Amino acid sequence: MTRAGSPRIEGYAVVAAIGLVAALALRRPELAIVAAPFAVVLAVGTRLARDPRVAVELRLTTDRTVEEADVEAALTVRAEGVVDRLEILLDLPPGVEVADGSASLTLRLRPGDERELPITLKCTRWGVYAVGDVETRARDPLRLVVWEQRFAGTHQLKAYPGPIELRRILAPLETQAFAGSEVARAKSDGVEYADIRDFVPGDRVRSINWRASARKQGIVVNERHPERNTDIVLFVDSFVDVQGTDRSTLADAVRAGSALATRYLERRDRVGLVGFGGVLRWLHPGMGLTQRYRLIETMLETGVEPTYTWRDVNLIPAKILPPKALVLGLTPLIDPRFIAALSDLRARGFDVVAVEVDPVPLVEEGSTEIEQLSYRLWVLEREVLRARLEGLGIGIARWGSLDLETALEEVRTFRRYARLARV
Amino acid sequence: MALPVTRASDSLQPVEIRVAAAGLVVLLAALVLGWSPLIPVAIVLVAGDYAAQLTIDDARLDSAAPAFAGGLLVTAELAYWSLEERSDVRGEPGAGFRHAAFLAGLGVATILVASLLLALVDAVRTRGLAIDLLGSAAAAAALFAIVLAAHGQGRTGH
Repeated sequence: MTRAGSPRIEGYAVVAAIGLVAALALRRPELAIVAAPFAVVLAVGTRLARDPRVAVELRLTTDRTVEEADVEAALTVRAEGVVDRLEILLDLPPGVEVADGSASLTLRLRPGDERELPITLKCTRWGVYAVGDVETRARDPLRLVVWEQRFAGTHQLKAYPGPIELRRILAPLETQAFAGSEVARAKSDGVEYADIRDFVPGDRVRSINWRASARKQGIVVNERHPERNTDIVLFVDSFVDVQGTDRSTLADAVRAGSALATRYLERRDRVGLVGFGGVLRWLHPGMGLTQRYRLIETMLETGVEPTYTWRDVNLIPAKILPPKALVLGLTPLIDPRFIAALSDLRARGFDVVAVEVDPVPLVEEGSTEIEQLSYRLWVLEREVLRARLEGLGIGIARWGSLDLETALEEVRTFRRYARLARV
Repeated sequence: MALPVTRASDSLQPVEIRVAAAGLVVLLAALVLGWSPLIPVAIVLVAGDYAAQLTIDDARLDSAAPAFAGGLLVTAELAYWSLEERSDVRGEPGAGFRHAAFLAGLGVATILVASLLLALVDAVRTRGLAIDLLGSAAAAAALFAIVLAAHGQGRTGH
């Protein structure tokens, strides 16, 4: 805590001193009478000023929220002494703002007063925030002395990415061995009808197709597709982050990753994560609600850590990338290391799809002819890159002006007509 | 601020007006620029105007001194209050009225105390070396106490 005199002390001291000296020099008692109130205010005010012992605490009703959702909080203020004017400033980190109420306010407190001030916060971007830093400035009744204090925040508020509506998601080309919601291409016990074949000893009687058997004059049985689960690996590009005024590619990539992870986990698929950038983060594929929280909280830690060293997929532990897994790259397709990693994974036989968080709308075209020409060349280079990746069999979902679901539909169409692509 | 101007003799009035106007300009500058050290400068300018008028007129005892003292103190308080309110801080409802009432009370109390002092000075008005020495000692003690009090506020504690 810092105790300091307000500007009044110096000002009144100067006025009182000049008044008293002038009264003596000019032999005019009226000047001493004019100076006296300033001196009296100073003497009485500084004598009576006591540390009010202010205590401020911010309490949150939750430590987890979603982007743009309201978080109810309460600011509890206590004072042991009298405070004529208590200025409170809630020092919020970038990304957190006050939705209802005010981050700075003044109060008047009597000795022993305790006030609870409701306040509503809102996180404008996903992330982990340290909330609760409060600065106070208390003034005594004559406002001669100021006590300034800073209360350090103790709350960690986790803001999860906002939901993105996805009715249909991408199905991997191959399924795993466990039961799930994805209709497998293999034939086995299941619900979805696949084909008919001749009866062989060991087939169950209930699988006999009596109508087909009557037409064929021999016993035939129905074959079905089993429902299996799939493995998905979210492959997040954290080499670069192209930032605009209200959005950034990394923020959107994490939002998309969160939405996709949620939808796949709802289908009982196993979802893993690789954060590929300056810092390599990974999470083993898993399923269930716990895995969903693990995934999202790991993605919240994602940030751009600049590095100039070359990184490739050899750094990723083999268990993180199970065979037949669908690798969903979430990337602005800018850093050559990530593009090389996608090509490398495809070359190793993984089913790879790149959700391209389009950085083109975030980059200004420029005003000069050279800048505009460079911009057009850069856009053309990106077209070439996309064509090259699609030639390798990597589906590209270009997520910019379109919504994510429509962008994924592009990949579905691509995979429907480009199955014969070979690496 | 208007008090010295309204009571000035015709020959002195232009000078008094200029000094009072200078005080007003300095006070406005303090408020506009948000620079508090200009406030005592404005107060001293107006008080100096008043002191010059008293010295030149050489009146016996000015009965308007308490009102002038109260006016100056309230002016200074209002100016400092204005600077405090410059920050974009939401105040409690009624806080402004409460402080205004406090300042009005402070002004009235100042006038009362100053009137008592004036009456005391009028009753025991005397001259001589002893009373001059006593006055000087009292003024020095008052200044010393003010300096001590002001110095003590700058310390930092936990």
